[in-house]
Amino acid sequence: MKASNKFQVYIPWMILVAIVIFLPVIISSSYMISIMAFVALYGVLAIGMGILMGQAGLFSLVQPTWFGFGAYIAGILAARGLVPPGIGIIVSAVFVALIAYIIGAPILRLRGLYLACATFGILIIAQISFVQLGELTGGHSGLLGIPPLTIGGFVFKSDLHYYFLSWALCICCLMFCSNVINSRVGRAIRASHDSETASSSLGVNIPKYRLQIFILTSVMASLAGSVFCFYLRFAAPSIFGFHLLVELMLMAVIGGVGNVWGPLLGSFIITWLQEILRAYLGHFFPVMTGEVTAVFFGVFIILVLIYMPRGLVGWVEQIFRLGRRIYEHIKSSVAQ
Amino acid sequence: MTPFAEIIQYIISGITSGSIYAMVGVCWSIIFLVTGIMNFTTGEFVMLGGMLTWVFLGAGIGLAPAVILAIAATVAIGIIVERLALRPVRYPSEMTNMVITIAAASIIKGIILITCGSETRVIQALIPVKQISILGAIITTQTILVIGVLAVMAIGLSLFFNRTLFGKALRATAINPKGASLVGIRINILIVFCFGLAGGLGAIAGIVIAPITFTGYNIGLMTGMKGLVAAIVGGWNMTGTVLAGLGLGLIEGLFGGFISPGWKDAIALLVMILFLIYRTISFSDGVNKV
Repeated sequence: MKASNKFQVYIPWMILVAIVIFLPVIISSSYMISIMAFVALYGVLAIGMGILMGQAGLFSLVQPTWFGFGAYIAGILAARGLVPPGIGIIVSAVFVALIAYIIGAPILRLRGLYLACATFGILIIAQISFVQLGELTGGHSGLLGIPPLTIGGFVFKSDLHYYFLSWALCICCLMFCSNVINSRVGRAIRASHDSETASSSLGVNIPKYRLQIFILTSVMASLAGSVFCFYLRFAAPSIFGFHLLVELMLMAVIGGVGNVWGPLLGSFIITWLQEILRAYLGHFFPVMTGEVTAVFFGVFIILVLIYMPRGLVGWVEQIFRLGRRIYEHIKSSVAQ
Repeated sequence: MTPFAEIIQYIISGITSGSIYAMVGVCWSIIFLVTGIMNFTTGEFVMLGGMLTWVFLGAGIGLAPAVILAIAATVAIGIIVERLALRPVRYPSEMTNMVITIAAASIIKGIILITCGSETRVIQALIPVKQISILGAIITTQTILVIGVLAVMAIGLSLFFNRTLFGKALRATAINPKGASLVGIRINILIVFCFGLAGGLGAIAGIVIAPITFTGYNIGLMTGMKGLVAAIVGGWNMTGTVLAGLGLGLIEGLFGGFISPGWKDAIALLVMILFLIYRTISFSDGVNKV
């Protein structure tokens, strides 16, 4: 790879980091900062979903559950004062990785739709257990009394602190994922998505790589969930249910799953869209819950899949390609 | 109530809900066999049946017209889902179809929430209520109606699929769509018909169960999932699905009665997951179908 190309690879990252750092300077509203923090956290989830759906071809619907596990385990450990919050995040990530290994090892051998059914089943079972294990999780009314996050004496208390924490997590995950995709594991995963028979006949250990990707995305979701619960200082079973799944699907689909950046863009669009819908449609509808916004999101999913099957990023790429072709066409006709 | 009568009572309630799962499972398998689509709006059809009947009853028309209108409306909604959401996709994959049906399910659910509210709704009994005592357990006429409807539906469908030309065409399409279209079967019409049929049967299931378990905007997800469990465990065929649905209802009824009603819903899904894993293990040496 040429030196200039190598430099070009870093440009999007530098732009993203610059935006993240300078955004709080430009906007001082703590409401916007807190929404941007949620963009980062949902972005981590959506990136994981995008890798599973787009790169690995695994239709795993269990992502909200890992998010929930991360939130509940870290939250319970911190609320009971069992371990300091900072260590609680790591404990919950390790625990989620372990569960993902135990569940993933048998389940990832299922094909396409059956994998989706099984993971959807796990999603609902997890939600039922969050409600049923009431003495541990607080049941329907949710987990209360979570202390703020403290790492090495530093207390995260303002929106701005969590904003930087979430974006640091998000950028690390994004970077890690884009490196993984371009690594040996990523190539193996993509090959197995294209043709399972061909890649396994070439000696790719498909179940192993699938399991690795599955655990990676589950740990990412768990970390996001832990930060989420310390930020909200609250966790309830209904947060980690069906409508979060619909939102995540929409984020992945609208951004496009062919690229790691797509789901992050999707998360940005959807999180803001949800806020706008809540603010303006609240006047028209008596009940304004996630289930009502899910109507609009459902319509969006269908429209995007019909008219923009490769998502926004795919669409932008297409426009760029078209532009380049027109540019080269003009250049060659001028040269003649 | 004696312990024996208690068991009988749980078995009766299990069979009642099992009949519903069987009907919903049949709706899943009709669409899956012909189109290969896992239609996650199936559960919402059940919800629509009950809720629309409640809406039409509230409009002041009698019971029979309300039921007929609700079934007709659900059939129409099933066809609309196929026409507006699934048909226009240019290169459909399994996953695209599934995401679309999940999105359609959340649209239907949200619209009912907005228009009908989030309260649990009750519709009146469809036939005069009478209680019959069997071995100390009580069975109402409504329960008998549910089981009867399942029986009629199963017999009617098997006659339809085995005796009529149209039903045979459907089976042919399920076995080999390309071959079926080569011999002159118009698959597009069959697909629309399947969605309509699934909508209608789902609505009937929703209407007959509504007087017993009540209905609400959010019953679709769990009912639909349990129907899916019945369809998967039953191997997507009619007899298997009906038996699996009844079995699932029995397990759930006994588990909910004796162990824990709160975890009852998790059992069905656990059964499905374990079954799917069992299938992959037992077939992994030869065919890898699941």
